Amino acid sequence: MLEVTNLSKAYPTPRGPLSILSNISLSLSRGEAVSIMGPSGSGKSTLLYIVGALEPPTSGTVALDGQNPFRLAERELAAFRNQKIGFIFQDHCLLPQCSVLENVLTPTLVAGANDNDVERARSLLDQVGLRERLDHRPAELSGGEKQRVALARALIRQPLLLLCDEPTGNLDRHSAEVVASLLLELHARQQTILIVVTHSAELAARFPIRFEMSEGELKQS
Amino acid sequence: MQLSTLLKRNLTYYWRTNLAVVLGVATAVAVLAGALLVGDSVRASLRDLLLLRLGNTDQVISSAGFFREQLTNDMQAHTQFASTFSAACPLVVLDGTVTHDKSNRRAAGVQVYGVDERFWKFHGRDGADYTLNPRQLLLSAGLAQELGAEVEDAILVRVEKHSDIPVESLHGRKEDLGITMRLTTRAVLPASALGEFSIRPQQAAVRAVFVPLRRLQQDLDQDGKVNTILLAEKNREANPQIALEASEKLLRDAFSLADVGLKVNALAEQRRLLLESDSAIINDELANTARQTAESLSLRVYSVLTYLANTMRVGQREVPYSLITALNEEGFDFSRKGTSTLPPMILNEWAARDLAAKPGDTLSFDYYLWEQEGRLTTRTAQFEVTGIVPIAGAAADRRFAPTYPGITESASLSDWDPPFPMDLKRVRPIDEEYWHQYRTTPKAFIRLEDGQKLWGSRFGKLTSLRLAPAEGSNLQTTLDAYQTKLKAALDPLKMGFSVYSARAQGLAASRGATDFGEYFVYFSFFLVVSALMLTGLFFKLGVEQRLREIGLLRAIGFPAAQIRALFVREGFALAVIGSIVGVGGAVGYGELMMFGLRTWWVGAVGTTSLTLHISPTSLVIGAVGGVLTAVGCIVWSLRLLAPTSPRSLLMGVASSEPEDRKDKRSSWRQRLAALPFSASRLAIICGLIGTVMLVSATLKLIGQVAGFFGAGTLLLVALLCFQAARLKNAKKKLIQGSGWWAVARLGFRNAAYRPGRSVLCIALIASATFIIVAVGAFRRDSQETVLEKKSGNGGFPLLAESLLPVTYDPNSAEGRAALNLPALEDSAMGRVSFARFRVRPGDDASCLNLYQPRNPKILAPTTDFIQSGRFAFQDSLASTPEEKANPWLLLNQAASDGAVPVIADANSLTYVLHLKLGDELTLHQNSGQAIRLRVVAALADSIFQSELLMSEKNFLRSFPSEEGYRFFLLDAPPEKVSAVTTTLEERLADFGFDVRETEERLASFHRVENTYLSTFQSLGGLGLLLGTLGLATVLLRNVLERRRELALLRAVGYNSSHFTIMVLAENALLLCGGLVTGSACALLAIAPTLLARGGQLPTVALGVLLLAVMVAGLTASLAATIAAWRAPLIPTLRAE
Repeated sequence: MLEVTNLSKAYPTPRGPLSILSNISLSLSRGEAVSIMGPSGSGKSTLLYIVGALEPPTSGTVALDGQNPFRLAERELAAFRNQKIGFIFQDHCLLPQCSVLENVLTPTLVAGANDNDVERARSLLDQVGLRERLDHRPAELSGGEKQRVALARALIRQPLLLLCDEPTGNLDRHSAEVVASLLLELHARQQTILIVVTHSAELAARFPIRFEMSEGELKQS
Repeated sequence: MQLSTLLKRNLTYYWRTNLAVVLGVATAVAVLAGALLVGDSVRASLRDLLLLRLGNTDQVISSAGFFREQLTNDMQAHTQFASTFSAACPLVVLDGTVTHDKSNRRAAGVQVYGVDERFWKFHGRDGADYTLNPRQLLLSAGLAQELGAEVEDAILVRVEKHSDIPVESLHGRKEDLGITMRLTTRAVLPASALGEFSIRPQQAAVRAVFVPLRRLQQDLDQDGKVNTILLAEKNREANPQIALEASEKLLRDAFSLADVGLKVNALAEQRRLLLESDSAIINDELANTARQTAESLSLRVYSVLTYLANTMRVGQREVPYSLITALNEEGFDFSRKGTSTLPPMILNEWAARDLAAKPGDTLSFDYYLWEQEGRLTTRTAQFEVTGIVPIAGAAADRRFAPTYPGITESASLSDWDPPFPMDLKRVRPIDEEYWHQYRTTPKAFIRLEDGQKLWGSRFGKLTSLRLAPAEGSNLQTTLDAYQTKLKAALDPLKMGFSVYSARAQGLAASRGATDFGEYFVYFSFFLVVSALMLTGLFFKLGVEQRLREIGLLRAIGFPAAQIRALFVREGFALAVIGSIVGVGGAVGYGELMMFGLRTWWVGAVGTTSLTLHISPTSLVIGAVGGVLTAVGCIVWSLRLLAPTSPRSLLMGVASSEPEDRKDKRSSWRQRLAALPFSASRLAIICGLIGTVMLVSATLKLIGQVAGFFGAGTLLLVALLCFQAARLKNAKKKLIQGSGWWAVARLGFRNAAYRPGRSVLCIALIASATFIIVAVGAFRRDSQETVLEKKSGNGGFPLLAESLLPVTYDPNSAEGRAALNLPALEDSAMGRVSFARFRVRPGDDASCLNLYQPRNPKILAPTTDFIQSGRFAFQDSLASTPEEKANPWLLLNQAASDGAVPVIADANSLTYVLHLKLGDELTLHQNSGQAIRLRVVAALADSIFQSELLMSEKNFLRSFPSEEGYRFFLLDAPPEKVSAVTTTLEERLADFGFDVRETEERLASFHRVENTYLSTFQSLGGLGLLLGTLGLATVLLRNVLERRRELALLRAVGYNSSHFTIMVLAENALLLCGGLVTGSACALLAIAPTLLARGGQLPTVALGVLLLAVMVAGLTASLAATIAAWRAPLIPTLRAE
């Protein structure tokens, strides 16, 4: 269960605080998937990073599975993210020096030992259609393939919350379609809470719950 | 907006990155120019020291003997004196030993100056300040400190008493060769008050005493005589050669026959002119000149050689102690009637009567002969009495005998005090009567050639020349004419005088035996390389930071070449600014290095008188060199822009390439791959060759040192190539699991992200480590010295130097008795053997002397020593098996071109004399004579680093006036070394005998070598540390370049510990890769040296250095981690 309550975010500027998010509340249960759309600068990504415990809010609370990550110490917060949150970014952010399989395994390196990690990574890569590319380097993959690797990496730790920041923003239509389908399919299979920030109305339309972000406020459309 | 405006904007906007580039260039320039300043400073300091010590002296006239003090005045009175010179000053200069009476501390090799007020006035000081009474002396500050002497302390000064008669002749006095003066210290003179006056360049503190001239002359029995004149030139800017020629002319014009030890007298009764020498012997060259001069005046010349016979014997009858004269004088008819093969002899009536001899009798006589080896032998000659002459006319001439001190002036035979044993019991009243009546009148006469065969020596074959003027000519007029003409025919410069330009020679020598500038450039090599690497790296980082900007410029139509030119101009501007800053840094670096040479590394220079001298030329060279190299690095770093497409640049990526270029490169790569030089292939090739060399060297199929060093170097290259190949290798083991090791493995994998950078870092650290570790093994530890015949000490535990020449052979029973040494049966001294060396004083040719030795000291061992084949040789020109087994034999080789073979220590040869085997060195004895020396062998790390060695035969031919032995190597049982030292120094104190352990001498050379190595290691280590910081910079750059990746890791749950482990692991891999590779290969390279020293390695210093590098590298990487962690990474993940 994700509970966002009265969340606000403002950045200090020389001319006073600049409000980005204003009094946002949101509640999502396991298995729910939402999309957030809105113009550039409206605060969608900021909301995503705060929910993902990468950035603290100015006020308000975030609770995932009943736990407020911002009350955790640095190490515990890192472990919290590792265990409960999966990220997919517009720029896939793969490690160029590591193979496809190793990229997927990256989050497991700092988690507790689990002998099934490699098998699970292989399985995920199989599910995203990259079984034949395990030993390839990111530089040898197309944009869509890279994003599929990122999707597998995001799911390797079986997170409760899956956050996607413009996951198809850099992809062609076909690749975007493939990635979106996989995303929703795997979400459905793993019953995560899925939040996708996107400019793509086409992608947003595939989500049962859609939000619109405007001037720091979140409205369901 | 113009390009120059854009350039200015770029320089100011990116000031942080630019500042790093400027600092990198500044460091390189500071180190480079600073190193050159060190060279300038050492040279200038040596020059200053020389000038301070010379005072007002420009030229020095000196003589092997003593000459009239008046000669100085005569020269000054010369009409041409004032045109070239402003002042002249006579003085006595001697080597001596001094003893502090209170503490009994002794110092050998002290300069003893006999001076009066003229000396101080000559140097522009008030002589009244330094007026000494006959019982006072002045001490140099250095000597006072060494002795612990203060004002009013009594000092015993011992110097050699000059003898005109050669010591190594029968009449030369072999004992009591010195005098000792007890004087009171009036003052201690600092260097600024001329306390360190010296006419020989040396950087160490001058140990000198100034004693009253009159007192010294009196004690030396040289009243009114000196051995040195100092000359001050009027115009020091003028050509010193012209001034030298002027002083030589003054000397030639002003000298008298007395100054070269000659006297010509008129013997009225005999109507002869008598030419004699103070040495009681006339050498061949002088005899020829005198003869030719006489003949030019139509004088008849008769030669005389008179010698002492201990016994003349006919049958059973004997006459003791008689003079026999060999001559070719008229009036002595040596013709005979018989058929005897014995040479003829004419006896005077007295001797014939006493011996009951008659013509036809055989007469034998015994005579002493001083053997060159150091012993007096008695020989016997047989003659046939062919005539008997009355003691009248020529046969009554007592002037056939020269004046012998202790004999000629004696009232009776029993009063004789000759320098050889004499049995007074054999002297009969009748002999005393003869002496009383006829004194030195010879009792027998033989032919000149017969006498010369018996008594001729290297000093000459005549005791006098007699010149007969034409009948009726005036004897006095003839005497005057002959004296004038003889003086004109003689060259004082060939008769013991020497004239040299002390200032010009000293200034030339002050250019130094060692170019410290060059050395410090080598020493600072890694500092410069590291600084330049950082410069290139910082600039490259700056360029990479601005890839989008470059992409934009390309997109709006800037040609690639113009963008490149813009960056080159930017780099040039930064390099110029950096070099200006670096020039200031150079002064600081130079000052630091000079401070180091005065303190930490004083062992290399032996003086604390070195100060920084700033030379604009060096600063300009350093600055220009730094700018050019930095621009080169910058241009090299810009190469990454060339293959990058504008689209990639706009995306901030410098690796994507346009397809056409990619194709070209791939074909180029294919071609390269076809070559055997890919990293892995090169690794295999170098590894194989290295292994082959290693095995060959182990089996001694090739030279061990070269073999192991070559193998080590090749294996270093192989390992670096292997690491490069491994880093580039795509097939890697899967990183899985969890925990610190898994994260560390991710860090190791990161090292492969930019393999070029990683290999560069490893290579730099490995190369620096290799050199530093390898150099460390060449440090010499005096403790490791072993007494072996084939070593640097030749198996001799002790060496000794003597102020006065020792002529007796201390290896013989007679010699020991004469020298008052314990007999051969003595428990301690009995087993001591002496290797004796003749010495020709000169400049120290070792690394202990910073001045360029222009006239190296020469030692000449005896034949026994040469045959013994001791000491280890590094190399030689030996061709026969005998010579190869004993290269000392090369000294006996007669070169067809007249060059004299010499042997030198390999270190001195290479680093001080800058010569190699077969090279020649010309030794200028004085203005007229030069001796060519050819190096035929090089000793390995020996105690003979200060001198050259030649055979005794060649030595005596080249330097006939150098007498006796002054250098000794002593073979003594190790347990008796202390007792032997004490005994010798006590018993031979009058000779100024100074005994030291050979180990101590070797250690003094090793200290210099070790200090150089330490300097190299220190500065190399500093460069290594700077290189490590460069490594940290690379790492930081890698971290910053991968901010998005790091942000992602953070997003997926990595905490600060994971980051630290990852970054430390990456850096540790590079550091350890470099340190281990470098150290391992270096240890392999120096294995023979290590094994030769029992496997000892100076581990502590090296360990500390390598640990410091490791710690510095890891600390820097920790800083990089913290910087990366604190950086706002998350925004990099944002899509917008």
